[in-house]
Amino acid sequence: MQDSGQPAVEAQRILDEAARYADQTPALESLFAAFGPVLAERARLRAEAPGWRGELPTVDAERFSQGVFVLADSGFQDVSPELPAAAVRLLPVMERAFPALAEELAALGRALAEGGLEPELLTRAAFSEAPVSVPGVSRDTLRFAASELVKPFIERQARDIIGLVTELPWRRGMCPVCGGAPNFSLLRKVRDESEFIQAHGGQRLMHCSVCSSQWRCKRVSCPACGNENPEELFNLRVEGRPFERADICRACKTYVLCLDTVEFVDIPDADVAALAMLPLDLLVRKEGYAPLAGHPWSPGI
Amino acid sequence: MPKAFLIDTTRCTACRGCQVACKEWKNLPAVPTKQTGTHQNPPDLNPFNLKLVRFSEHMVDNKVAWYFFPDQCRHCLEAPCKQASSVEGAIIQDAATGAVIYTEKTAQEDFDVIRGACPYDIPRQNPQTKQIVKCDMCIDRVKANLLPMCVKTCAMGAMNFGERADMLKLAAERLAVVKKTAPKARLLNPDDVAVIFLVADEPKKYHEFAVAEGPGAMTRKQVLAGAFAPFRRLARAMQG
Ligand code: SF4
Ligand code: SF4
Repeated sequence: MQDSGQPAVEAQRILDEAARYADQTPALESLFAAFGPVLAERARLRAEAPGWRGELPTVDAERFSQGVFVLADSGFQDVSPELPAAAVRLLPVMERAFPALAEELAALGRALAEGGLEPELLTRAAFSEAPVSVPGVSRDTLRFAASELVKPFIERQARDIIGLVTELPWRRGMCPVCGGAPNFSLLRKVRDESEFIQAHGGQRLMHCSVCSSQWRCKRVSCPACGNENPEELFNLRVEGRPFERADICRACKTYVLCLDTVEFVDIPDADVAALAMLPLDLLVRKEGYAPLAGHPWSPGI
Repeated sequence: MPKAFLIDTTRCTACRGCQVACKEWKNLPAVPTKQTGTHQNPPDLNPFNLKLVRFSEHMVDNKVAWYFFPDQCRHCLEAPCKQASSVEGAIIQDAATGAVIYTEKTAQEDFDVIRGACPYDIPRQNPQTKQIVKCDMCIDRVKANLLPMCVKTCAMGAMNFGERADMLKLAAERLAVVKKTAPKARLLNPDDVAVIFLVADEPKKYHEFAVAEGPGAMTRKQVLAGAFAPFRRLARAMQG
């Protein structure tokens, strides 16, 4: 993700991208109209979020190379203190985006504002660590809202952390920062400063469903089971969408969405791009494959 | 956000991939070419070749050196061709990208005036339709977030495209590197155009109209506004 770090610029970029995709895929227009402003507000919160406070964790290169992700012992820093203020901004946007949930979201907002719900419990709900109940709010809505609220702060912390390990080798299917599973991947062009011919195929990057970190991954391999047998790895596309595909593994029956950005001017926001791939998601699920991780709009997640 | 190209001629190997890709994407017909004693083919921009890799050879340190210049419209920030236009809607500038676009209304323009206004001698006229044509930044592709064909095709990293701010940064970085071995290296009119060339030697050695340069007394704007046009036309007349 290219990032200016400026809240307004970030948010506008997402709205522009959502508008462009909606133009290309009129069938998804209402989805973009709903999620676009939510993703934009999340981007704004992320750009303003405090990030990792205090000293960054130390990375033991040896353990890391054995597959122990950076936050394996400590986890993220607590984001609960940020949530009441974030809720005041994000929940109203979500209420407009999802009118069917508006009443529940409003009840959640009130519970937070009036002290009926401790922010710590909301954080735990986001990570499904504890059954939390709020009167007038279904478990699913609570979980959805909680993870949307927590996400920008987690993402912002992850941005500070990923720099610690970008130079270290990591070719695993899970996130090097938090151990999360990828819900999206992309091929990206690399500008090679050597005088040799530029690689046209691009690098393969996985995108973490939890903290949105991105990391390099072998091009021909399944991020879930590590299978490298080309006979068992294939992809599916939807007609007329040449840059979007699902990378599928027959061995473990999973897939991850993949966007080929090698020809793109700008690399789109990973969530906006994944939203545009919903028809592909549905198609691949019908074929009997499961995503490594979903999105809030994923069916059955 | 305005877009820009960086054309790093020091990385160009004259494979002509961009020239061919442009022609194919635009569905432009083949043109008869003539042998002009250089490897440049066709000899000049024409209504069916909006992008042309210019070749020129020079003796450098007793050796023949080839200079390659993938020429095209510069998408000037304040386009002199647009300022010279007298037909409403014939030459427009896309606000989002900065692309300077010629519409079919250019058929009503005075071609000599438009071509004469361009400091880089880019516009050409289709003899049948009388429309004036040039590179349009592959605006159809760029609007769909796809790189212009020439940039997509270039395997050497000579053709680069992106946000203007990013391209200016890349240009400055590349210039610093190239200058170490080629002290005459420079960027061509980086403040005035959206297609910024990086050359390693005198611009004129690459192409007569590689750079827009005005006599000291004139402001660049006056020069660009066409005060230079008569000289340009004269120069062309002399070229034959
Ligand atoms: S930008 Fe497009 S039209 Fe212009 S020269 Fe390149 S390929 Fe041709
Ligand atoms: S290079 Fe010439 S044709 Fe292109 S915008 Fe500038 S003046 Fe117009």
